[in-house]
Amino acid sequence: MGQHIGMRHVAKRPAIEQPPKPLTEPVLLILMSLAAQPRHGYALIKDIEALSRHRVRLSTGTLYGALPRLLDEGWIERFEQEDTSRDKQAYRLTSEGRRQLELELNRFRELSRAGFARLRLGEA
Amino acid sequence: MGAVFRVLLYLYPQRHRELLGAEMQAVFEQGAQEHRLLGPSQYLRFVLLEVGGLVLHAAIAQFANATHRGYLENQVHGTLAPPQDLPDEVIEAQNRVAVNLNQLLFAISRHQFVQARFYSNEERKARENLRQMQEKYGIGDPQPLP
Repeated sequence: MGQHIGMRHVAKRPAIEQPPKPLTEPVLLILMSLAAQPRHGYALIKDIEALSRHRVRLSTGTLYGALPRLLDEGWIERFEQEDTSRDKQAYRLTSEGRRQLELELNRFRELSRAGFARLRLGEA
Repeated sequence: MGAVFRVLLYLYPQRHRELLGAEMQAVFEQGAQEHRLLGPSQYLRFVLLEVGGLVLHAAIAQFANATHRGYLENQVHGTLAPPQDLPDEVIEAQNRVAVNLNQLLFAISRHQFVQARFYSNEERKARENLRQMQEKYGIGDPQPLP
């Protein structure tokens, strides 16, 4: 007796490589600030304030909400700085963090290019 | 106000508090000192924003701690775990594999299969890169990766 094997054709979905989600503004600003040099918590807040032309001032909660995620993802790392105590820990960007920042900035560049192209179309 | 902030830090998961509590307190104290000089209204605004931000992000941290396996687990007091006695390129390649693997597991746990596929490909590339680095430095018996 022949064995009946039920088969069902399953259409294979095309593999879509989707880049990771866009970074949130605090995360982007933290990465940008650390791209220049390592900084500790308060220096990050002050630099981000300057970087955003006083538009953004991260609260302690917001900063220390983003830092653990970045540490867990390996985008930044804590490191020992001479003459700093445990309550003044410095952070620096890893090469993976730098890569993620570059990806995001490239995305912004493409987006703004497309936006300006649309504006020019509207003016014409 | 510093005492209130210290008490509010207990809203955070213990791991978060142990690792970052002292730093958070120091950052708050510095900000408070600066805003006190700007007058009572600026100081009050600062305090309200700080307390609001702290309560909100403590809730988010508790959620992350409950749902994200390994929340701050790889971090130790003061600095990252000391690097092994390997060339920087190899350590970097190892980290990249670990990060992509972590992202892959996280995406799978949240049923984000498109993201999972992306990180699966990235992890494969990272492993290949690590293999090449190990060959380059003649590391015969590499440490097993997770």
